Amino acid sequence: MAPAIHPVELVEILRHKNLTPAIIFLTSRRACDEALDAFQRSSVRLPQNRCETIATFLKDLADDYPSIVDHPLIPVVQRFGVAAHHAGHLPSWKIAVEELMRKGHLDAVFATTTLAAGVDFPARTVVITQSSVRKAKDFSDLTIGEIQQLAGRGGRRGKDLVGFVIVTPSPYIDLHVLAKGLTGFPEAIESQFVISYPMVLNLLKAHPVDHIEGILAKSFAQFQLNQRAEVHQSHLDSVHEHLKPFGPRECTDWITQWQVYDLARRRKSQRRPLPYRDTPALAAQLPFLTSGRVVGISKGRGIVLRQYRSRGQRYPMVSVLRSNGTVAECPAMLVTHIYDRLLEFTSTRSYPWCTPGTLEWLNQEMTQLPPRLPSLPILVDKEIQEDTQLTDVLTDEFPCPTCPSRNACRKDHSTALKLRQKSQQLTKTVQALRTGLWHRFQEKADILQHFGYLTPSSHLTAEGEWGRLIRIDHSLLITELIRMEAFAGSEPSLLAGVLASIAHDDDRPGSFLRMSPGLSSMLNQVRAVADSLASYEDPPLLRSDVAALAERWIGNPELKWENLVRMTNMAEGDVYRLLARTLEFLSQIQSLRETHPELADSAKMGITLIRREVLEELP
Amino acid sequence: MTDEELISFLEDLPLRRLHVLARGRVHRHFRMGKQRLIDVFLKLPPQIRSALEEDLRSTTIPIKASPPEAQQPRSQKKSSRQLQTPSRHPGKSSGEPSTTVADLLEGLGVPPSTTFVPDPWQVDAVSQLATTDVIVSAPTGSGKTYVAVEAMKQAMAKDSTVIYTSPLKALSNTKYMEFSHLFGHEQVGILTGDRRDNAQAPLLIMTTEILRNLLYDAASGEIDLRLNTLGLVILDESQFLADPERGVVWEETIIFCPTQARLLLLSASIGNPQELADWLTSIRPIPCHLIHHRRRSVPLRGAYLHPAGKLSPLFKSRDITQGAGYAFHPETKRLFSKYELETFGPRGGR
Repeated sequence: MAPAIHPVELVEILRHKNLTPAIIFLTSRRACDEALDAFQRSSVRLPQNRCETIATFLKDLADDYPSIVDHPLIPVVQRFGVAAHHAGHLPSWKIAVEELMRKGHLDAVFATTTLAAGVDFPARTVVITQSSVRKAKDFSDLTIGEIQQLAGRGGRRGKDLVGFVIVTPSPYIDLHVLAKGLTGFPEAIESQFVISYPMVLNLLKAHPVDHIEGILAKSFAQFQLNQRAEVHQSHLDSVHEHLKPFGPRECTDWITQWQVYDLARRRKSQRRPLPYRDTPALAAQLPFLTSGRVVGISKGRGIVLRQYRSRGQRYPMVSVLRSNGTVAECPAMLVTHIYDRLLEFTSTRSYPWCTPGTLEWLNQEMTQLPPRLPSLPILVDKEIQEDTQLTDVLTDEFPCPTCPSRNACRKDHSTALKLRQKSQQLTKTVQALRTGLWHRFQEKADILQHFGYLTPSSHLTAEGEWGRLIRIDHSLLITELIRMEAFAGSEPSLLAGVLASIAHDDDRPGSFLRMSPGLSSMLNQVRAVADSLASYEDPPLLRSDVAALAERWIGNPELKWENLVRMTNMAEGDVYRLLARTLEFLSQIQSLRETHPELADSAKMGITLIRREVLEELP
Repeated sequence: MTDEELISFLEDLPLRRLHVLARGRVHRHFRMGKQRLIDVFLKLPPQIRSALEEDLRSTTIPIKASPPEAQQPRSQKKSSRQLQTPSRHPGKSSGEPSTTVADLLEGLGVPPSTTFVPDPWQVDAVSQLATTDVIVSAPTGSGKTYVAVEAMKQAMAKDSTVIYTSPLKALSNTKYMEFSHLFGHEQVGILTGDRRDNAQAPLLIMTTEILRNLLYDAASGEIDLRLNTLGLVILDESQFLADPERGVVWEETIIFCPTQARLLLLSASIGNPQELADWLTSIRPIPCHLIHHRRRSVPLRGAYLHPAGKLSPLFKSRDITQGAGYAFHPETKRLFSKYELETFGPRGGR
C-alpha cells in the first residue's frame, strides 16, 4: 500500500461525502505541487459550468493583478477545481486562490502549514497529514497551538453546521500528537524579548539612561521573570524562616566556624595513604636493603639478593638467601636487623639473582659470619608523625572546646549550613532574574559605545543619531558598512545586491549566477566585515546568487519578471520575498537622507527600479 | 504447535499477557501492539519459540484443555463489560461503538441564512473597550474580526485615529481590501516600509514592525501622522508575541503604545491569556479586560481516513471537545495499526 493516500482519490472521497471545500495540509511545497500534477494526469473533470465560473472570476481578478493572467496553474484550477497555496507562489496568485476559496469556487486547496499562521480562509474540512513540521533545519512536533490553528480553519461560520478535521496517515504522522493537539488546551506563551542594537539606540535617544531600567521592567519578559522570581522569593522566605532558630549563639558566626572545621575534617579524611606509601621507618631502611646486605629476619640471618616491588604486595619486597641455603621472598617490613656488612657480588636478572658460583660463595660466607654483627644506625624522619598528631588535635579539641553552646552547634551545624547555602543560592537566582534584562541592555550599550555610537555617558553620538534609523536585522553590519563608506558612489544595483544578500536568510540552495566584478569584490569585503563583527552580531548568509539576482533586476529595467525567475531555481514566491525584503532594507537606508544624501538617493533610485511589474501590484 | 494454533492462541490472550511472554525474548516489546508482537513471536528462532510455547502451556492450561468452555465465560464477561464501556474490539463482538460513520456525517450542511446576531462575548468585548483595554483570546474563525470592525466604527465615530496591525504583509493587504470595502477607500490607509497610501486616513493598516518604528520616532520627538489623535490600536494575531524572532516587536509596541489610546489585542487560543491581561493591567494606566472565549462557533468533528479509502471517526466521541482527554475510536485504532504495520514492516519503526 502507498504510504499515503493519493490526492485525487482523497478529493474524490471528500466530494463524495460532501466534505468539500477542504484545505489539505501537506508536508512540503513539493508535495503540494506534486498533488496538482497528479490531478493533471487524472481523468476527473469539473462540470462545465463550474469551470466557466472559475474562469470568469479569475479574469475579473486579473484586472487588479495582471501577473495572474497567464499563470501556468490556471488551467489546472479551472479543470479540476483544486489549487496549491504555499510560499513558493507569488502573493497575487495566493490572493487569487484565497478569493476563489472564499467564494466557494474551489473544492480543495493543497497548502503547507505556513498557511495556518498567515492568511485566513476557512473551509468545511481540514485534512491533516503530518504531526511534525520543519523548523530551522529540524523536524519538531506541531505544538497544540499550531494544531488548533490548522484545525481552526475547519467549519465556516454561517456556511457550515459542522466542521471536520480529517486525519489521514503519512509517514510523518503520530496520531497521539494530533489527538493531544486537537483536544488539549494550547500552551502558555512565553516572552521572547531580545535586546537589539536599534532598540538600545532608540531607547537612549528618547529616554535618559536612568529611566531605561524602568522601561525594561515594563516588558512582558520582565513580568514573567518577576513571576518566576516571586516563586523563588517565597522559597527563599521559607528558607529564612527555617534559618531563624540558627541565629547568633555564643559567637555570631558560628556556622562559618563550623564550616571551616568541617572542611578541615573532610580534607583530613581524604588523606588516605597512597598504595605504595611506605612508613617512615621503612622508607629510611630501603636505601640499605641492596643486594649483598646482610640482614636479620625473623628466622635467623640472610643476605639480600635483590629488592623489588610487586604489584600484589603493598610493601617493597626483598629476595633473601637464608642461612639454610634457600632463597625466600620476604616483605621488607619483616626485616628485623640491618647489619653493617656488605658482600659485593654481581647480580643477574633472573633467579637466583646471581650466578650459581656466587650463590655457593655466599652460602659459605654466611656460615663464616661472626655470631654478633653491628647493626646500622638508621635515622627515621619524624615529620609525618607530627602531622598526624596535628589532625588528632583537630578532631578532638577544635572547635570551641570551652564554649557552652558547643554541643548544640555540633548538632545543628550541618542543617544550618545547608539552609544558609540554599538561601545564598536563591538570593543570587532572584537577583539574576530581576536584573538580567538590564544587564543584557548594558552589555549591548557597551558594545555600541565601543563602536562609537554612544558616548560614555550613554548619549547618542552623531553616528548613533543616524544609526538608530536602521531598524532591521543585521543593523550593526549595515551601519558599520555605511560608516566605512563601502557604498560610496556605488550604483543602486550594487547597493541593492549587497542588501539583498544581507536580507536573505533562507538556506534553500540556489543556482549560480554570474555577477558584475564590482558586486563580487564588494561582497567579499562585506563578508570580511561580517566576520569581524561575528562576535557582536550573527553574520548573515551573504549568498552571492541572491545578490546577483537583485542586481540583475535593478540593473536592467527592461528585464521581464518571467525571465528573471527563469535565471534561478528559486521559487517565484521566494524571489518576490527576496526583492520585497530588499525594498524594506532600501527604504531604511533611504531614511538617512539628512546625513547621507548620496546614499539615500541611491536607495531611492533602487526602490523605484525594483518597484515594477509584479512588485508594484501590492502596496 | 503450528503457526496457526499459536496465532489463534495468542490472539485470545490479552495484550498484557503477551508482553509478559515477550519479556526477555523480544527487544523493546513494550513498543509493539498485539499484531506486531504476534508476528515477532512467529519469527523467533526455534529454541526460544519452544520455550515460549512451554510458558504458554504452563500458564494457560485450562484454556487449552477446553477451549469452548474457556471461550464462553470470557465473552460473557466481555459483553457484561460492554454495558458500561464501549467495546475495544468491535469486529469480534456484537456491541456497537459509540460513534458510527453515519453518525459522524450526520447534520452536515449549510445553516439557514439568518440575520447575523453577534455573540454575547463579542458585544461584551466592544462595550468593554469604551473603558478598558481588551484582550480577546478566541479560537480561529470564531469572529474576532467582528470585534475589530465594531471597535473601529466606535473609535472612528469619535473622530480618533485607529491603527490596525497584523504580523504579515499578506494579511495586511487582505485586511486593507476588506476594510476599504467596508468603510470606503477614503477612510483607509496602508503603510509599508517604503510606501504610504492615504496616510492621513482615520484607519491605518500596517505591520506591527512599522507601528513599532512609528512609536520609536514619536518617542524621540519626531511627530508623525496623527498619533496625537490616536484612539485605538488593534494588534491582530497577538500570539505572535511568543515568536522567537519577532515577538519582541509586539512587546515594544505594547510598551510604547500611547497612553491615551485603547489597546485591543486579538489572539488565537493561547494558554495564559490571563497572564497577558495582568501584564497589560500592570503597565497601562487603565485596567485590561480579558475575553477568553473557548467554544468554537461551528462544532468540529474528527475523522480518520485510511489510505485505502475507508473513513472512520477519529475519537469515540463525535465532537472534538477541549480538555476532556481523548480516546481513539477502536476502528481508527485498528486501521492505524494496520497502516503502521504495512508501511513500516513488523520490526520496522521509523
